[in-house]
Amino acid sequence: MENILTYIIFTPVIAAIILGAIRADIRSLKIGAILSSVIVFFLTLYLSINFNPNEMMQFSRTLPWISSAGFSYHVGLDALSFVLLSIVTLLMPPLYIYMHTESRKGYWYNMMLLQTGVSGAILSLDLILFYLFWETMLLPIFIMIGKYGNSMHQYNAMKILLMTILGSMSMLFSILYLGHIYFETFGVWSFNLNDLSELSLSVTTTSWLAAGFLLAFAIKIPLLGFHTWMAPAYASSPTPAVIILSAIMAKLGAYGIWRFGYSLFEEVLIYYKPYIIFIAIIGMIYYAIKAVTEDNLRRMFAYASGSHLSLIALGVILSNSYAWSGSLYFIATHALASAGIFLMIGLTYKRFKTINISDLGGIAQRLPRFTFFFAFFALSIAGLPGTGGFVAELLIILGAFKHHFTIGILSATSVLLAMLYIFWMLQRTLFGSVNIYIKDTAADDLNSKELLMLTPLVIMLLLTGIAPSLFTPYIEPYILQSLDGITPLLTGIK
Amino acid sequence: MRDLLYASPMAVMIIGAFVLMIISRDNLSLNRYNIISVAFLSLSLILQIYTFDKGNSTYLFESAFGKTFIIDKFAKLFDLMFTIGSILTLLINTDYFKRQNYFNGEYFAIILFSVFGMMMLSHSNELVSSFIALEIATLSIYTLVGYHKFKKASSEAMMKYIILGSLAGALFMLGVALIYGAVGSTLFSDITIYIKNTNIDEMNLLLVGATLMMITIMFKIGAVPFNSWVIDVYQGAPSPITMFMASTFKISVFALALRLYLVSFSPINEFWIEILQAVTIATLIGGSLLAISQQRIKRMLAASSIVHTGYMLIALSSIGLGAQMAASSLMFYLIAYFISSVGAFGIISFLSSQEQFDLTYNDFKGFAERRPYMALLMSIFMLSLAGFPSTIGFLGKFNIFTSSIESGQIFITALGITTAFISVYYYFKLIAVMYFYSTDPRQNKLPIDVSTVLIFLMAGFVIWGGIGTNLILNIPGADSFINIAQDAISSLKNK
Repeated sequence: MENILTYIIFTPVIAAIILGAIRADIRSLKIGAILSSVIVFFLTLYLSINFNPNEMMQFSRTLPWISSAGFSYHVGLDALSFVLLSIVTLLMPPLYIYMHTESRKGYWYNMMLLQTGVSGAILSLDLILFYLFWETMLLPIFIMIGKYGNSMHQYNAMKILLMTILGSMSMLFSILYLGHIYFETFGVWSFNLNDLSELSLSVTTTSWLAAGFLLAFAIKIPLLGFHTWMAPAYASSPTPAVIILSAIMAKLGAYGIWRFGYSLFEEVLIYYKPYIIFIAIIGMIYYAIKAVTEDNLRRMFAYASGSHLSLIALGVILSNSYAWSGSLYFIATHALASAGIFLMIGLTYKRFKTINISDLGGIAQRLPRFTFFFAFFALSIAGLPGTGGFVAELLIILGAFKHHFTIGILSATSVLLAMLYIFWMLQRTLFGSVNIYIKDTAADDLNSKELLMLTPLVIMLLLTGIAPSLFTPYIEPYILQSLDGITPLLTGIK
Repeated sequence: MRDLLYASPMAVMIIGAFVLMIISRDNLSLNRYNIISVAFLSLSLILQIYTFDKGNSTYLFESAFGKTFIIDKFAKLFDLMFTIGSILTLLINTDYFKRQNYFNGEYFAIILFSVFGMMMLSHSNELVSSFIALEIATLSIYTLVGYHKFKKASSEAMMKYIILGSLAGALFMLGVALIYGAVGSTLFSDITIYIKNTNIDEMNLLLVGATLMMITIMFKIGAVPFNSWVIDVYQGAPSPITMFMASTFKISVFALALRLYLVSFSPINEFWIEILQAVTIATLIGGSLLAISQQRIKRMLAASSIVHTGYMLIALSSIGLGAQMAASSLMFYLIAYFISSVGAFGIISFLSSQEQFDLTYNDFKGFAERRPYMALLMSIFMLSLAGFPSTIGFLGKFNIFTSSIESGQIFITALGITTAFISVYYYFKLIAVMYFYSTDPRQNKLPIDVSTVLIFLMAGFVIWGGIGTNLILNIPGADSFINIAQDAISSLKNK
């Protein structure tokens, strides 16, 4: 099983190619897609059994790829990528269940390609390989929004494409420059992360290189100022694409800062920490206020997710053990919760043909099970005690207090604001008098398939909330070891 | 006898041209002419492949021609591209020739003449013969551009091209004369010796001459500000000719430019750096601005070919600044651009014979539903031209940009990456209109014939050139594309 990571990455796309080549009909396409996600699920299960939390990089595999240009196929797994990989693996089957009525073939092919792109980006440790997957996961999103989206989708697809590629191109420039410096120093080309992290660079050079990477990651997250694509893209994407955007791709931005930032230009990150903290905090509060004012549920949760991702970014940049554990934990729990809430918004639209808060109301009187799940996911977004989000937010806020009192207060404020908009939204949609939209539709309560898709998410969220001790042993050694790596720098600068 | 073998690919080409010329009075069907010319081209291709590893760095018929024509891998690689490019042009357009009534037998003879001219150009090691070769190739292209006699745009394009092209040709001749005045010989090797032994302050005549020649080369490859003909000519020419020009003729000029500036003028290359850089910046920006504003796909591809010229110019100035890999990266980019543009223009001319529309962006609305496979192939070529990773175009840009970073041109690299970003807009716009709109469910199956199989093959090359590895036994991967480029360049230097 030494190639297990390769199988995890390529199973979906190979399934897609085979299905495309035999011109599978829609039924076999669905079965094939689900089967590929199940295979990946079991492979990841195998990984989690054999995963050793006390080691850093595991299951790594290096193969020559295009050797004269210095590209190598280098993949590996540590606790950080393990968390991200598991949420991808866990979320794909529910998404396929959500899509079971979808009979447009392109939808399914795009989702399979997307899974390959995302897991490839998570697992690759060669910068060019990473760039390849980073771009690969953009294409299906572009097609999904542009072809299957709603309301101004063509325009919004082009917008997200151009903005993210702007980031990618600046990252590409930095990657090329790094490779060139390696070539100057050692006389051979290499884009391997291990090789490149050994380079010692001048501060000016590193700052420019870091800026190139950070622009790409900031757009993906999106941090404040790099976010103009966010709300339109969330509003016009089909539900599965929204979930991938908020639950996985946005996290990859934070992952990028973590993985590449701390191994390639940690001094710069530490040096510019105050500015990044500033952007993250302002963003957190700004997005929360925007979320209060939004009437469209999709857009509201887009801003909510922006706010929470800024919190994750804050945790990543604060680099103390609380903040880091919290961020890593939040990456997983927020992914589950936002997948849940966007699935519920999708179901809301399927039932009532509207997702405007002002058009909804009184759902609780008609659909009790629906109400329970909707409220549960919304509250776990807000960090209800007992769900994973609470533990994560608490840890990050503790980390923030540890760093500075004011930052702690401000990050706690954003969590309080989240409570505000979530409760207000719940009150206007679920409770109150039965609205005319709700009265006239013959909407049924959740059926068994929908329950099958939502229950695992609920269980996972409760499990992470009630028994965090089940999961922390997996991530703690990683956090401590990587903090050890940068502690000399932290103290050195102070 | 040995020389005869090395000369045979060119000989087959010229014999083929004359044979076609003679039989063009027999009123055979166009299909017949097409098959005959492809047969000659293929024969030449087989001979080229057979002699590819033989007799490198020898002169052709040295007793008769002296050092005028040279045989090296560099030239042979270009020959391969010209031949393959023209075979693809003819085969992909079999349908086009059937449907248009203005073609006749001479047309195929002219194509062979033009290929012969280009091959001569790549082998030429002397200024006068390269001028003649260039003119053989261009005169044929002028004729081909205006081949649609009754279409105004076609004649207009030809006139524009002839007038501007002759001016450029005259400048080249003047340059040759000045260099002859300075050196006393037109052989590249004599020029090299002269440059090595003379102080740069004392060779004004040569510098002026070489600069004039450079202007001609810039004109032929469509660099800004010598680009005023490109878009109109590409648009006005019959689609197969547009494909022929983009895939072969443009590349042939680089054969001359590389040989001249890499070997003969290499000691004084730094003299041109600033001019080259200025032209590069103008070309990148100007080409991008032109490309964004186009509505027709053919014009967009023509304008974007200017941007691709810009990337190659980046490599050219990196060569002058002494980047080691710059020359081979330019060579690789030529291969990459060749493959992708043959595909893209091939699809355009394939479609223009089949569909009754103007090929604007709007005409492509819903194309993915009408012809899913064609749309997929088109997207692959667009991705490659835009330099998206996992295509050969990405590797091409990667090589260009790394060598330009190596030569210290940070600003130009950043500009190159910016224009690559802009190019995403106009290439992806096509992908967007193809996929984002629905159309009447008019599902056409992909007709499996020569044209589509070849386009498929090119798309395969695009992907394989971008991600292929040597891990799969017996199948050369992307590495070997790079190796071929490096071999070709080193064969040029070792003399």
